[in-house]
This record gives sequence, structure tokens and C-alpha cells, in this order.
Amino acid sequence: MHEIHEGAAFRLTSGSLLFNVRNLFFRYSNDIPALFGVNADISPGDRIALVGKNGSGKTTLIKLLCGLLAPEDGEVRYKGKPLAGQRLEQARLELGVLFQDPDDQLFMHTVIEDAAFGPGQQGKSQKEAQLAAIKALHQVGLEKMAYKAPHNLSFGQKKRAALAGLLAMNPEVLLLDEPTANLDPNQEQVFLDLLKNFTGTLICISHDLIFLYELCDRAVVIDQGRIHHDYTLRELVSQRHTLREHGLDFSFRLVMTPSAPDPDSEVIENTLSQSAPASEKTEDPPIVELHGFQYRYPDGTLALQNVTFSIRKGERISIVGENGAGKSTLLSCLVGLLQGKGDYRFAGKTVTRKECKRLWRRVGIVFQDCADQLFCSSVKEELAFGLHRLGYSRSETEPRVCRALSMVRLEGFEDRVPLHLSGGERKRLALACVLIMEPELLILDEPTAGLDPQGEELLLNILYNLDVTLVLVSHDVFFMKELTRRTLVMHQGKILEDLPIQTFMQDDRLGDLNGLSYMYRLRSSRDIRILQHEHEHSHPHTHLHTHPHRHENLVHEHTHAHEHDHPHRFVHRHPGEEKKHDHMPRRYHHHDHSDHDRESHDHSHENNNTDK
Amino acid sequence: MHISDGVLPVSVTIGGYIAGAALAAWSARRTESEELPKVAVVTAAFFVASLIHIPLGPTSAHLLMPGLAGALLGPVAFLAISLGLLLQTLLFQFGGLTALGANALMMGLPAVACGWIFQKFKGKTQVGHAIAGGVTGASGTAMAAIFLALLLATGGEDFFGVAKVALLAHVPVIIVEGVVSAFTIGFLFRVKPALLESSFVRHQKTVND
Amino acid sequence: MVHISLWYLPLLVLLPLTVLAIIAVWLRRVAHRQSIAEEEPDWSVPALGDEEGGISPLHRWDVRCKIVTILGFSFVIASLGHLGPALTAVGISLIVSVISKVSLARVLFRLLALTGFLGMLVVVMPFTVPTHSGDTLVIFGNTDWLCLNLRGLLLSATISARAVAIALLMEPLFSTAPLPVTLHGLCRLGVPEMASQSVLLSYRYVHVFRHEARRMSAGMQVRGFRKRTDIQTLRTVAYFLGMLFVRSFERTERVFEAMRARGYRGRFPEPVELRMRTMDILMASVWLVAAAVLITYDRILF
Repeated sequence: MHEIHEGAAFRLTSGSLLFNVRNLFFRYSNDIPALFGVNADISPGDRIALVGKNGSGKTTLIKLLCGLLAPEDGEVRYKGKPLAGQRLEQARLELGVLFQDPDDQLFMHTVIEDAAFGPGQQGKSQKEAQLAAIKALHQVGLEKMAYKAPHNLSFGQKKRAALAGLLAMNPEVLLLDEPTANLDPNQEQVFLDLLKNFTGTLICISHDLIFLYELCDRAVVIDQGRIHHDYTLRELVSQRHTLREHGLDFSFRLVMTPSAPDPDSEVIENTLSQSAPASEKTEDPPIVELHGFQYRYPDGTLALQNVTFSIRKGERISIVGENGAGKSTLLSCLVGLLQGKGDYRFAGKTVTRKECKRLWRRVGIVFQDCADQLFCSSVKEELAFGLHRLGYSRSETEPRVCRALSMVRLEGFEDRVPLHLSGGERKRLALACVLIMEPELLILDEPTAGLDPQGEELLLNILYNLDVTLVLVSHDVFFMKELTRRTLVMHQGKILEDLPIQTFMQDDRLGDLNGLSYMYRLRSSRDIRILQHEHEHSHPHTHLHTHPHRHENLVHEHTHAHEHDHPHRFVHRHPGEEKKHDHMPRRYHHHDHSDHDRESHDHSHENNNTDK
Repeated sequence: MHISDGVLPVSVTIGGYIAGAALAAWSARRTESEELPKVAVVTAAFFVASLIHIPLGPTSAHLLMPGLAGALLGPVAFLAISLGLLLQTLLFQFGGLTALGANALMMGLPAVACGWIFQKFKGKTQVGHAIAGGVTGASGTAMAAIFLALLLATGGEDFFGVAKVALLAHVPVIIVEGVVSAFTIGFLFRVKPALLESSFVRHQKTVND
Repeated sequence: MVHISLWYLPLLVLLPLTVLAIIAVWLRRVAHRQSIAEEEPDWSVPALGDEEGGISPLHRWDVRCKIVTILGFSFVIASLGHLGPALTAVGISLIVSVISKVSLARVLFRLLALTGFLGMLVVVMPFTVPTHSGDTLVIFGNTDWLCLNLRGLLLSATISARAVAIALLMEPLFSTAPLPVTLHGLCRLGVPEMASQSVLLSYRYVHVFRHEARRMSAGMQVRGFRKRTDIQTLRTVAYFLGMLFVRSFERTERVFEAMRARGYRGRFPEPVELRMRTMDILMASVWLVAAAVLITYDRILF
């Protein structure tokens, strides 16, 4: 077990503490404990990133902090008093909690009524509450939607409306549970700006360490119900081994940074290998061919217009665009859930109404929320569902089920209940359900939504090794870059660009045009990469350490400083090329100094610490 | 099938309103008043579930689900069903505003009865649950159909024929309802048995994540 | 008694049914077209104006007055015993609908929802009503087991007219004020506050769950599920229901937590203050007169 250090750096004067959590223990009705022995101090103005694997107890901790759950043992003190009774009611009006699903939070009839709910509970008059609500809606940029019903908003708008409901209460503390999951980069930027300007205390759960890096100073790492680390976020991101240990290593994402546009040999090779077969076998029709395709919603709005593109067999393409650009509608058309107007050919054949209903045999799709896709009571049944529809017998399905499970690394899960699996496992199960049908075209809609970095990396590896024609819809530039070669940029139902991924990555203008601002991510990634920079090097440096040494007859031990030159493996930054090294603070290292104690040195033994 | 406006005698509709209101109040007492919002949200789920159509040969039927509502909600089911019917009137004009009380009695009383039956006979195994679920599902709908026939018959002998036809028309629905309920309860037993304990609002702890 | 030959039977039954079906299809088409034509309103202002800005007298009417009056009027309609007054009531309701400028599409959808139950009445009642002296019977050929009783037809027509008249009043009642205001009015009339809040909450989450259900059924479709009349379909539908319940019960808990986290302690804020003016009373009395006329027409003139 590695060392666990808690709160040492942050144990401040306890008089002004906001939260004081002591020895917290909690378990859900019949399960294993969700939290045990959690200690933490939170001071006003702290900006805390709460990180950990899926199911590590982060959400539970947040619920305990705002008094939605009562601890089984231990205590949460808020402003010096236990969180109960009067104090709890006061706390609820001062804390703002943003839950994962905005639909849970928008329970009133219109957006403005919802925003005014909190102030109303705070005892404000109707007029004041209304004003506070309008102000908050203005902050999140939804003043134009004030009287709209929440179910008519897009996902991003709902998320912002939910935040407005909290901001209207003018909270001292914001507790955020994955605030930016599934948001397009543009909306994420809105959140980031708002939260950066928020002056109170901030506690934020997220798997997106790059986002957290921009926002928070302090990192609290939870694993299996315990706090394992509590230190600065800069330290956390710089220690790859710690990240890896807690399933948080997102460093695989940092390998990119297209800021260094190196049109290396690989890229050239790719473009060559892509163009060559195209000219070679023109008789082989593309697997998907859309020409002048359009789709109109039943209510009349044009969701897709004049969409033209084609996908060749074995090609891997990605589709990007803001929330509501028409990506999901396009996918629904591709799998035959919706039928639009215009020319759609699948493997050379025009897709008619009749053909549309049979497309599911050839196209597989993994939805953004796998809860929409998994509905059986055992994993085996789930996988066999599609096969039975195709008329396979029981003996035929068995080996296929095993193969599909091993493909997604879920061996031995046959009899588990899909609903009881973790988020990452469910995602992979949904993928297996699609793969078992051996689709000619695989479509993934936001595959990384809600996964922790470990789950992401596993999924990435699985997808990387699949031999299939792939369409990936994602806001996640890294995934796009790793898995696909070509990108379609969508905006307001049209395809703006169709270009190689490398070109897309380097095109700043395009990012702005489409409102997809990836810039802060690039900047933060670069910062973190510098923090994580690690290699062996040697340079003279000063040590402080103790060891026994001899002076003639005298043997004694004391701390002293050395300067010597030897190689080190060390996380450090390079402010410039091969210039001076700047180590992170609080970094200790141990190494042997053989025969050091015999080295001659002289110092006066009156003041014990000047050695050479 | 819900009774439209203008079918029942006015005295019956008014009586239905009074009895319905009394029962709804009794039903609401069975839960913490602060927790009533939960009933409201659950009602929405049943509402959506009742919109699902199941093909029956050339036509299709939608599920009524008094049995399932009773099994999952217990006595609160009456309140939830009244609320759901009000919403149906508001949104779609299924069942009329004046006949609301009568409709609530017709669906709600079987639901409460079914809840009791289910809790009494569900046993401890998945099969036991499924069978109890199937029986309650079928009997709930059957009771509702009988209630419907009785209510129609209050209109006098002119309505007897309609009542008989309505009763007959429910026979396939009763079968479908029984089968679906059995499967649903069996599924829930495996996936989330906590839902099948009696009256959800009182016993269910906040289980999440 | 009227004797006609048997082959008229299919004609007499099928013809009205076909006409009804055609009307229903046409209504649906019109309703859809109407609902498309509506353009995106400006959401930065309240959807319906306050008392001053109301677009029709019904919009300006105090909700409490409106609820009591229209509900009372509906019961009066329900008590009408003859076709003439019932048709008059339909006329009144139509006029009210036009005055209150409600959306045609929504009115049509409401009427469409009635066709099932009323269709059954219209088809079944003429054949099942017991024969009284003085009834006109239409007997087909020389069958004695099947005769069409015109009194039954008249009765079912009266019922249908009553149902249509009341259904036509629902749009003017419910869509001339935002739902929260209408429900608040109900509270002020003695309905428990929690009941009306529950309606609002349910209304809100019906939409959420419908979206969820739609996504789930899409998820089933892409894996090859098609509804048929077989046990497999029933089993899959049951799983679908089970999932829907599991997800919605979980959501129920989350919603309740979110409410408590924002300081909910069993009370909701009041949406608006209501004021009753003489205009409101006057309007109510106009309705009262109409109701009285209808009853008199029904009881005395027949």
C-alpha cells in the first residue's frame, strides 16, 4: 500500500472552517460501506477537485456534505455546528448542489419559476425572487428562454438552467457533480467562465482533470470510500503513479497537443494509403453514401439539410458539432430509426422504406446513455437478444456470447444483472451487444460520456483494435484523433467541412467558426505535460539528510546539507530548452550514499550543521 | 378504457367525485405529506407506461396497469391513479373531467386491492413473485372492467348492452395484462427487489448511485 | 317498425363507420398541419399576458371564477336529456372556443381522443337498447335477433353531443391561463395546495419520462425488436416497463433530493396573486344564464 497523506497541507486555523468532517462512515442499506473514516477540513474559499474512480464514493460524500444523507458514524460540522436541525436548514439555503442530470433539478413548470424556487425558499418576496431569477438566468445566458418549459430545452441549456437555479440563491458554496459531462466545448466554456468567476467555496466532482486543472487548486482523491490524498491539484496531476493507482491517469490524453504540427511520415503515409485503394477499386461501392439528404422533424424544423458524404469500407470517421447541430439525427437516419428525404445508399443499394426497417442487421449503434439500450435481466440474455431476433438457435448463440464478452473484457459476466454493473462495464456491454451482431458499420455516440479515465483508456484500447467501419460522434478531440482519420464538421444541420483529422486539429479558425473552443484544453494539457515531465538527469544539487559520521573518535548523527552530482529520475519542469531545472516543492528522495560516512569533512561541532 | 363526459348520470359522477376525494385523502394520509412530490413523479412514470401499445392481432391495446400500480405503490396507488387520470384529462381528453371521480374509483379501488393481494401472496422466490404479479395484473384489470360495466349499468337498462360489450372487450386485455405483469414483476425481482416491498414511500430508503 | 332487407345492414353500419374514420383521419391531418404552422414564440416573456394583455375575455377572466363556472356548466351539460339541447350546448361550446382563440390543433386532438369510446357507444347502443313501446325498430330482412332501435341511436347521439360539448370547453378552461395559475386558482377554491403542485410535478416529469421511453424504444428497435402478437413481444414489453419503473423510481429519489437540497420543506412558492373584479362576476352570470336557458329548454320544452 502506498502512503496516504491527508489534509496535512491544508489543516488551517480551525476557527474559520466551513466544513469539518470527522471520521465519516456511511453505507447504503445493505451494501458494503460507501465511505469509511473520511476526514476533511474545508475552509471558505477553497476550490476543491473531488476525484476518484466511478463508484468510489464521491457523490455520496457530496450528499453527506449537504445533509441529504445522514452519516452512520462520524460527523459533518458546518460552520462549527453539527449539520442537523436548524443548522441543516440554514445550510441548504447557503449551499448550491448541482446534480448530474439536470432533469432531476428542474422540477418547476418554467425555467424562471425554477430559478425563483430557491430564493422563494430563502424567504424572499415574490418580486425579489423573480429579480434574482432573472439575474441568474442572465448570467448563464438563458434570459431569452425564461418562460420556456424545461423539457423543451436542449441538454446544455438544461444544465445551464439548473446552474441558474443555484446561482439565484447566491450560494456560499457550490457542490458540483460532473458539471460538464456531455457538454459541447462551447457550453463547457460557459461553465468554466462562470465557475472561475464564482468567489465562494467550490467543490467539484469530475473525471475531466484538464477542466479541473483550470478551476481548482486543491485535489481530494477518493478511492473505495477513503480519502487517499489531499493536496494541491498541481501535485496530483504531476504524479503519474498516483493517478494510475486511483484509475485517474488521463495522461494518455496528453500525448497529443497538436500545437506542434509535425506532418510526420505517418500522416503522409495515411493519406497515401487512403487515397490509393479508393482509386484502385472504384467498383466497390462505399458502405454509406448520402447525397442531398435532408430530414425534417414532425414539428417542421429542418434538422438536416443537404447532407452529402460517403464512407468507404473500413474507414473510420468522426463527426463533430455543437449540441443540437444535428449529429444525433444524422445517426438515427443512418441506422434507419428515422427516414429522411434524399438519396441514402447503403453498400450501393438505395435505402427504401422497407430497407430502412432492416438496416439494424447491418448497422450497430451504441447510444450515449447505455441505460437506453440495456433492458434485460442478465448479461447473457442481453447479448442474445439481437441474435434471437435473427433466428439463431440457443446452441449457436452460446459461443458468440462468449466471444463478444471476451472482446470487451467482460469474461465471466454472463449471469450478472446489467443494471448492477458499473458505468464503464455497462458501456462495454452495450458495445458487446452491438458487436455480437457483426455490424458492417459501427456507430458510437459520445462513447466517453461519464466514464472515468481508466474506463476511457480501456474502451479506447478495445475500439482501437476493432476491425470495423466506424462512425464516432464526440466532443472529445483526443478520442477522435486516436480512433479516426477523417472528420465531418456539422453546424445547424449542415456539413460544413469534410477533412482529414490532422487538418482539423490544426485549424484554429475552424474551431472558432463552429464555436468549438478547444483552446484552453490545449493550454492546460501543455501545462500538465510539463508538470509530468520526467526523465533521468544528473546535475549538482543539495541534499539534506542524516547519517552517522565519524570525526576521528567521535561518531554521531545529524542532519546536514550536501551538494553532489548524480543522476536522478525526477518529475520536473523545463522552463526553457535544456536550461535550469525547477523541481516541484515538497519532493523528497532517498538514495544511498555509499561510504559517505567515511568521507572526510570538517565542521565545527559547536554548530552541528555545516558539512561539506 | 375510460368513461367519457356525458355518459354517466350526473348523480353518479358527483357521487364518484365525493367518494374519490375521500379515498384520495385517505391514500395521501398513508405517506408523509412532505414526500408527496415523490408520488407525483412516480405517477408520471405510470402515466407514460400506460401509453404503451401492445399489438393484439389487427388492433392494439394499451395497458391499464391497476395491478402493477397497486403492487409497486400499495395504498398510495389510489392517489397516483387519480392524479394520472386528471393528467390524462388535462392533456389528452382520455376520460372526461366530469367523470373523473368515477374513473378514479374504477381504476383506483382495484389497484389498492391488488396491492394488498400481491403483498399477501408474493412469497419469497422469483417464480412466486411472478405468479403473484400475473394474478394481480389480470385480476386488477378484470376488477376495473367489472367496475366499468357496473358504472355504465347505473345509467339504466339502456346501458346494459354496452356494459356487457365493454366487459367482453376487456377479456384479451386482461390476459395480456396478466402476462406482462408477471414478466415485469419477475424482472423487477431480479433487478431491483426493493421496489416490490410494500408501499414504496414509507419503506424505501434513499438508494442511489 | 320498419322492415328493410338484410343487405342494408352492412351498409348502415359500415357507412357511418367509414365516414367517421375518414373524418378522424382528416381531423388528424388538419391537427398535424396546424401544430406545425405554429411558430416559435418569444420565450423571454410570459407565454400568456397578464390581465391587461390577455388576448380574449377568457384569458382575462379570473381563474377561480372560470373554473367554478365552466365546471358547473359542464355538469349542467352532462345532465341534459335530449339531443336538441345537447346540440345547442355544442354550439355554445364552439362559440366559446372561437372567442377564446384556442389552438385548433389542440381542440381537434381532444375530439380525436373521444372517438374510441363514443364510436363504441354509437355502434353498440342502437342494437342493444331494450325495446319499449313506441320505439322505432329497423329490422333487417327476416332476422329477429338483430334489430336497430332508433331510440338507442338517438340516445348515443345525445351522449356524444354532451361529450363533445364538454370536451370543447376544456381548451378554453385550461389553455387560457398557464397551468400553474389554473392550479393555483384551484387551491384557492379549497383543493389542497399539495395536490396542485403534484399535478405540476407529474406534468413536468411526464415529458421527461416520455423522452426516456422514446429513447429506450429506439434502443430496442435498433436491436431488431418489432412488436408482434406473441409472447416474446409481451416479455420484451415487460422488460421495457420494468426498466422504465426502475429508472423512474430512481429519478424520483433524485428529484426529491434536489428539491430538499434547495430548501424544500413541504411548501411551494405561490405563483401569482389573484384579484376578482366585477367583470369576472358579470361573465360568470352570463354563463349562469346560458346554463339556465339550457336546462329550461331541456326540461320544459320537451
